[in-house]
Amino acid sequence: MTSRSQARLGRSVLLHLFLTPLALVWLFPLWMMVVFSTMPDNGIFSPGIELLPHDNFLDNVANLQRDTNFIGAIGISVAVAVTYTVLSVLLTSMAGWALARYEFHGKGAVVAIIFGTITLPYAVVLIPQFIMVARDFALANTWIALIVPPLFNSLGVLFMRQAFSMMPAELFDAARVEGVKEWRIFLFVALPLARPMLAALAIILFLASWNNYLWPLLINSQPGAMTAPVALGTLIGLTKVSWGGIMAGAVMLTVPMLIVFVLLQRHFIAGIAAGAVK
Amino acid sequence: MAAVTLTNVVKRFGVFEVVHGANIDIADGEFVVFVGPSGCGKSTLLRMIAGLEDISGGDIAIGGKVMNDVEPADRGIAMVFQSYALYPHMTVEQNLSFGLRMNGNPKPDTERRVKRAAEILRIDELMQRRPKQLSGGQRQRVAIGRAIVREPQVFLFDEPLSNLDAELRVQMRVEISRLHKELGVTMIYVTHDQTEAMTLADRIVVLKGGNVEQIGRPLDLYNDPTNRFVAGFIGSPKMNFIKARIVGRDARGVVVELAGEEKTRIVQPLAGAAPEPGSKVVVGVRPEHFGNAGEGDADIAVAIDVVEHLGGTSFLYAKTANGEDVVIQRDAAKVPDTSEIIVSIRKSYLFDEKGLRLR
Amino acid sequence: MRTQNATAYRFLTPYLLVFAVFWIWPIVSSFLISFQATRTVPWRFAPTFNWGRLIGDPAFYNALKNTLLILVIQVPVMISLAIVMAVLLNSPLLKARGLYRFAFFAPVVVGEVAYSAVFRLMFSLDFGIVNKLLESVGLAKIDWFSNVTPAMALIMIAVTWRWAGYNAILILAGLQSIPEDVYEAATLDRVSKLKQFLYITLPLLKPVIVFCAVLSIIGTMQLFTEPFLITERGGPGGGTETLGLLLYRQGFRSLNFGYASAVAYTMAGLAIAITLVQLWLTREPK
Ligand SMILES: Nc1ncnc2c1ncn2[C@@H]1O[C@H](COP(=O)(O)OP(=O)(O)O)[C@@H](O)[C@H]1O
Ligand SMILES: [Mg+2]
Repeated sequence: MTSRSQARLGRSVLLHLFLTPLALVWLFPLWMMVVFSTMPDNGIFSPGIELLPHDNFLDNVANLQRDTNFIGAIGISVAVAVTYTVLSVLLTSMAGWALARYEFHGKGAVVAIIFGTITLPYAVVLIPQFIMVARDFALANTWIALIVPPLFNSLGVLFMRQAFSMMPAELFDAARVEGVKEWRIFLFVALPLARPMLAALAIILFLASWNNYLWPLLINSQPGAMTAPVALGTLIGLTKVSWGGIMAGAVMLTVPMLIVFVLLQRHFIAGIAAGAVK
Repeated sequence: MAAVTLTNVVKRFGVFEVVHGANIDIADGEFVVFVGPSGCGKSTLLRMIAGLEDISGGDIAIGGKVMNDVEPADRGIAMVFQSYALYPHMTVEQNLSFGLRMNGNPKPDTERRVKRAAEILRIDELMQRRPKQLSGGQRQRVAIGRAIVREPQVFLFDEPLSNLDAELRVQMRVEISRLHKELGVTMIYVTHDQTEAMTLADRIVVLKGGNVEQIGRPLDLYNDPTNRFVAGFIGSPKMNFIKARIVGRDARGVVVELAGEEKTRIVQPLAGAAPEPGSKVVVGVRPEHFGNAGEGDADIAVAIDVVEHLGGTSFLYAKTANGEDVVIQRDAAKVPDTSEIIVSIRKSYLFDEKGLRLR
Repeated sequence: MRTQNATAYRFLTPYLLVFAVFWIWPIVSSFLISFQATRTVPWRFAPTFNWGRLIGDPAFYNALKNTLLILVIQVPVMISLAIVMAVLLNSPLLKARGLYRFAFFAPVVVGEVAYSAVFRLMFSLDFGIVNKLLESVGLAKIDWFSNVTPAMALIMIAVTWRWAGYNAILILAGLQSIPEDVYEAATLDRVSKLKQFLYITLPLLKPVIVFCAVLSIIGTMQLFTEPFLITERGGPGGGTETLGLLLYRQGFRSLNFGYASAVAYTMAGLAIAITLVQLWLTREPK
């Protein structure tokens, strides 16, 4: 073996020796979530160290369902996240298309307002949004309250504007010369070409809606109207609840997303990384 | 079938004016090439004709009808783009039929037109492929096919060959010529390559910095350029320009003395008024218009730097006594082996200091 | 391009409507509300009512102090960790890259509630796995929830776990956009790997790192769920109460919208200041 390849091997071993424990520590909470979700409560609150799953998962789900209507809440979460994702992708890709591909009066102002306010904290709009939706529109505890206000998110506008402006302009000019109407150019030329970007955006938006906590907590606090994270959150800190059940709920919220993450990792990472290429 | 008329056409991007009042008349069925260096406004003019850019001033008429506010699709034009602009997610067939399908054209007619275009361009075999699976030349054919399918009155080409390699470029040039003969419609073709312009055009429009410099048939531009720019742009290798001075006038024309060549006089026929004796002028000589000593209007001595052999002909890169660079074209057999030679000027052009032709 | 006002606005209007109603108007409205006394009906304009109270409110200073403390400790630690993760994940020597990526990036998809619940359980005093492990190696167990310092540490640990991978993704994307030949040239010039990292990688990554820092600061500044769920409404005794929690308590427990809006605009002021610092740090050299 040459000294060069020996040095490489040495560095490689060192790298793995450092990274493996770190990775295990990072996986530990997720692993423990799964382990807890399969243990009976008296197992969780016992002195021994348990690091392997048991077989109590379904009992825990039943316990959770007894504490709160979690299955119903999951149904709401799924419906809301799907609707929100579809609407947000549609609205923001239309807006991104207009900003990327048309000259119009007021374009500079629109861009300046969208981008100039993007780093303002969400906390700033929380109270007026709440007053508006709960008091003025009297929409608290409805699906509309969960779906519509978060549609303001401009991430998609940014993302799709970037995607559309990277496409060659001549492609759309060619369609224009052929007499294709603008909305058909958008629908049949631009959107199909943006499919990978749309996938990335949809995943990110779905995840955001699925995990959203603060707004649903404020606006939909009635038992029948809660999303799954809110329903689960109400149990944390109560005394007579099943922690095995809470962990089962956490698993049900998390594992589907982990599977999506593994299957669509490329789109996922593209979606997140695109945040940095403003 | 349609003529295209540009009247005082102006284009501004914000405060920048990039086309300064173009007047161009294109006859029905004519093949006109817009040529000029990169950035001179060729594409902008073409895109205004297509309706892809607003017209800031003046009028554009197609078939006698002013088109300024008419949608691109309703102008009776079709356009072929430099990047081909094929829809990557559609097959060749779908690419060809997309515009017709989107506009609700009856299906049998669409199929007929697509079939005809495919036959004309010999791309029948490629119909189910996607653009990614095609070579550059094939993509170019599909792009042209997409224009043919529209059955337009005017074809617009924006540098359609500049993404092809040299050999394919020649081949496609011939095809486009053939297509023009076959279809007999008006074609407007933009390029920065003067060879393409010379070989394709019925008439050439030379542009520079947003101005029309000259319009004319290829050989007219070659033989009778109106200014130094056109003279330099048309012809390859470029015309040589040598500093000179007016020394007087005789019966045959003005008498010019080349800088650094006190004894060399050239007499240029001149119809118009001659500049004052002593005023500075420029003499233009094409590389192919140098001859053997004694065979032309005047002889000059040059020192050869480099010789390029192309086979049949050779190019001598040389310096005049005054240190000016000139290129001289010679038959390969007649390349001298000495470094100092005398050549004659067989034909020359005279330009004033501003670059205007004196004739 | 042709000017196409009608077409452009047809595409834009649906989004702009939502954007105006649920973002722009609330931004303005929140500012106005912060100058009103909102616990009387009708609300009345009282410019110093909330802001005056804010300046003298120990609860505000406590929340501000906690928030800033988390910011100055947690953000640098997390960003450094994220840089390490990204650089190592990018190493050509790494085997089973997918597994490591999964380990570090997985927390990105985990919801706040789910992971808050897990952390709460893992760190509980008598039966938490963390204390059990500490004891099993002979260390004293820590009462994470009753003392301020461990409680703050717990919040920082949780947030770091959740967000380090996210930042690593951004930094990794930045790393992968650095052309390989820069390093090849440096290697030929006998620049050591460490020096390559310090003098090539880090400077080229600066914009991404600054971007991550700004995102993290603005995110951490609004920290709510973790102190709400993990340390039980900012406990012990307000020891982990953040500005986000104070806003929630004032706005939605006491329904004191005016005061809560003043707190919100304090956050906005901080965010604007930080964004300006970012713009200054990443400005193009003239
Ligand atoms: N959309 C635009 N905005 C501003 N300036 C432009 C735009 N398009 C072209 N120009 C400018 O107009 C001039 C002519 O451009 P163009 O017609 O593309 O040149 P050519 O096709 O002859 O190379 C150039 O100086 C170019 O920079
Ligand atoms: Mg051009």
